[in-house]
Amino acid sequence: MDTCIGKIISISELNVQILLNGEKVKFHDILSTEHKGKKMYFEVTEEDGNMVAAVPFQSVIGLKKGVDVYKTDSSLSIQYSDEILGKVFDSYGNLIDDSHIEQEHRKDVYGRNLTMEEINVNGGILWTGIKILDFFAPMRKGFKMGLLGGAGVGKTVLIKELIHNVYTGLNSNSVFVGVGERSREGRELYDEMQEADLLDKMAIVFGQMGENSAARSKAVFSGLTLAEYLRDEKNQDVLLFVDNIYRYVQANSELNAELSRVPIENGYPANIATSVADVEERINSTEKGSITSFQAIYIPADDITDEAVQVISSHLDGQIVLDRKVAEKGLYPAVDVFQTSSKMIDIENVGERHYRLVEEVLRYYARYRDLEEIIAVLGIEELSMADARIFYRTRKLRNYFTQPMFVAENFTGIPGQFVDIDDVLQDVEDILNGRYDDVDEAKFLYIGKFGGE
Amino acid sequence: MGNFVEGLVNAKLRNMKEMKNVYEVGHVTKVKDYILEVTGLENVGFYERVVISNYSVGYVTSIKKNCVMVAVLQRANAIYVGDEVVTTGFDFCGMYSRAAIGHIVDIFGNDRLLNEKFDACRPLPIETDPIPIMERGTVNRPLYTGIAGIDLIYPIGFGQRQLIIGDKKSGKTQIALDTIVNQKDKNVLCIYVAINKTKKNVKELYDNLMKKGAMEYTLIFASFSEDEPPIAYFTPYMALSVAELYMREGQDVLVILDDLKSHANIHREISLLTGKVPGRDAYPPDIFYTHSRMLEKGCQHKDGGSITILPIVETKGGDITDYISTNIISITDGQLVLSRKNFEKGQKPAIDYTLSVSRLGGAVQDKDMKKLGAKVRQRFLSYLETREVYELANTDEMSYDMQMRLKEGRRIEERLAQYKFSPRNKNEIIHMFEEALEGEA
Repeated sequence: MDTCIGKIISISELNVQILLNGEKVKFHDILSTEHKGKKMYFEVTEEDGNMVAAVPFQSVIGLKKGVDVYKTDSSLSIQYSDEILGKVFDSYGNLIDDSHIEQEHRKDVYGRNLTMEEINVNGGILWTGIKILDFFAPMRKGFKMGLLGGAGVGKTVLIKELIHNVYTGLNSNSVFVGVGERSREGRELYDEMQEADLLDKMAIVFGQMGENSAARSKAVFSGLTLAEYLRDEKNQDVLLFVDNIYRYVQANSELNAELSRVPIENGYPANIATSVADVEERINSTEKGSITSFQAIYIPADDITDEAVQVISSHLDGQIVLDRKVAEKGLYPAVDVFQTSSKMIDIENVGERHYRLVEEVLRYYARYRDLEEIIAVLGIEELSMADARIFYRTRKLRNYFTQPMFVAENFTGIPGQFVDIDDVLQDVEDILNGRYDDVDEAKFLYIGKFGGE
Repeated sequence: MGNFVEGLVNAKLRNMKEMKNVYEVGHVTKVKDYILEVTGLENVGFYERVVISNYSVGYVTSIKKNCVMVAVLQRANAIYVGDEVVTTGFDFCGMYSRAAIGHIVDIFGNDRLLNEKFDACRPLPIETDPIPIMERGTVNRPLYTGIAGIDLIYPIGFGQRQLIIGDKKSGKTQIALDTIVNQKDKNVLCIYVAINKTKKNVKELYDNLMKKGAMEYTLIFASFSEDEPPIAYFTPYMALSVAELYMREGQDVLVILDDLKSHANIHREISLLTGKVPGRDAYPPDIFYTHSRMLEKGCQHKDGGSITILPIVETKGGDITDYISTNIISITDGQLVLSRKNFEKGQKPAIDYTLSVSRLGGAVQDKDMKKLGAKVRQRFLSYLETREVYELANTDEMSYDMQMRLKEGRRIEERLAQYKFSPRNKNEIIHMFEEALEGEA
């Protein structure tokens, strides 16, 4: 039997205060009360003398002052066994796909961080089959890759393509966490995984954008717990997809405002760095298993200097930045090659040839950027021979780095392509050497490999 | 209907017997525009409807230790400190009558043109729980707007949320109206939501739809700029609540929200007035959630019905990267960007094809349109980009391929121009654009 711990004395949309009757409660305890014939839950967020503030999980419409509040004997928890695979959970660890769990075995979602000794930093290289990613930002097992982009530049499509390509290649289990994104896309992901017979290898948590701030701020913890189960108990190389980690910070800002705490710039909570570290420090690899994560990061108002974006990206091993200016030109994936980076780009990791090619291509891109301005004023005929060569070859490279996606086939009508890194290096080398100087640049758009056709 | 009234009467009688009809009375202690501080209401519920000095109506926005905050929705006369506030025992609800289709209504079930209440009004919660992921189906049926640039290149499907964004006077509302008119005889219920508009605006719009015979299947939810701000805040939620009612009966509903920038501003006004912490551009931190939960009502239900939402956002100086615009873009399934520059050049509809996006794309087109649309989109975008780079180049010196590409692009461009209220159907569109494509088709 749950014990009565006090009564509600103030209510607002996301903050309920409870006057304690002497019972003790602590941070993250789950409280409950009876509301409109249903159980309603809160989580303790702040203690102040004989009062506690708690965030309600459901709508508080109709709730009254003076109602008794009880303490439940658990904190927020989620299933911790093989039964998580193929299931869909909400942020609080409840099943939402009409399935059921045979043997309940739950675990607290606020797990511990790994110690320095446990963390493993060496993993094998992991190819994605996406030309522009493998070329500019290759990754390895245990890597944390961020996908940054403003609204509507193609983050979700890229995440889905990665699920499709990496997942089928790696052949291990994975966890998808939907945080504050579209329910429609959530539904589509579920259907697509089912169609591809991948659903039973995957565990899904959804706290989508129609849900309140409490739900959106908890989804990532539930998801992490599932990934940790696969890593620690099953010793697997787990893939963790988080779409979108920015929404976690955003939900925290909403809760922060409801608690009337003083915010920092743009309304973010003062503890933004700590709250991000709480999540990111748990995504790590051990000797036994690894978690390779892809995290979509929304860039508010197309402002990459945004505090939340900066805080999150400081935890990443690599980042792919999607840019509206590239998307405007119809070049997808709309990657900004200058801002895209990976710790793997050095001679030790990818080899001399790859490294030199990346340097050379970036040099071409940089010169192209300057030339564009010159052309806008003088016209294309005024370029020197050498510059004209760079100009035309870079346009070919830009077109070459577009790629038809498996998951966008419905949209583009062009079937997807998985491209081997050796082919990419060969094609890029050939373009740079002028082997294709006579070929029309449009021939490089939305293809797989070019050579050998 | 009879049962419903009887039920209400019985419930009232039962309450009287149990002495539950004794309502609490409190007093106003502070008046800050339309936000009141009230003391003496110990048993009031969050969101409960209250009556202030007999005639004005408000609802409880928060319950504090020693007082409650009330937002005024309908003000009958001036409110003074010390006025009586009486609880009603009901959650604050909107009122809706099914007889309202074809009329201009508000959230209280009034006909705004005739200024009278509809018969048979029923209470309807303004906000409902989110529609669960597992109740959703796939968005794949095309909703034709009759505009070639949309139906072919950036299509809209039933259950999609497609933003229409652009500067003042770039033709945003016109696209919405064209879409409504094109739904005639297609068994789609259209709801146009006017947020903080002038009376004149709404009347013109009503006349326009009337002339085209579109009011038969259209409902206009209006909040005027003279209303109390909380009304403008609630109007789009109420409209979507009504849309959900019909969707669950298997009906296809199209909702136009005109516009969400005003809605964001109203929300900011109310939040700042109630002392909430401001965030970016002084909008409250929950501005994303304010619109995300609203637009998440847009869906294709697995049982057949659907809600398609076309929200409208006004920009300044053609900048779609400001805070509110990007927030909403990140919620919707795509955006149609309208450019003032194109409008002035005479390109109508003034769609900016480089900035517009449909995340569903071909998934909501049938086979012919999808095949043609993908081709036209790719070639037209590549034409627009090439045109920009080679603007100063001599056309005669270009390769033959390039010249042909430019010509083809121009042919596509010509065919995308379309005057208002002159819809083209699928076959016309396919015919026109197959002609435009070079050689093959």
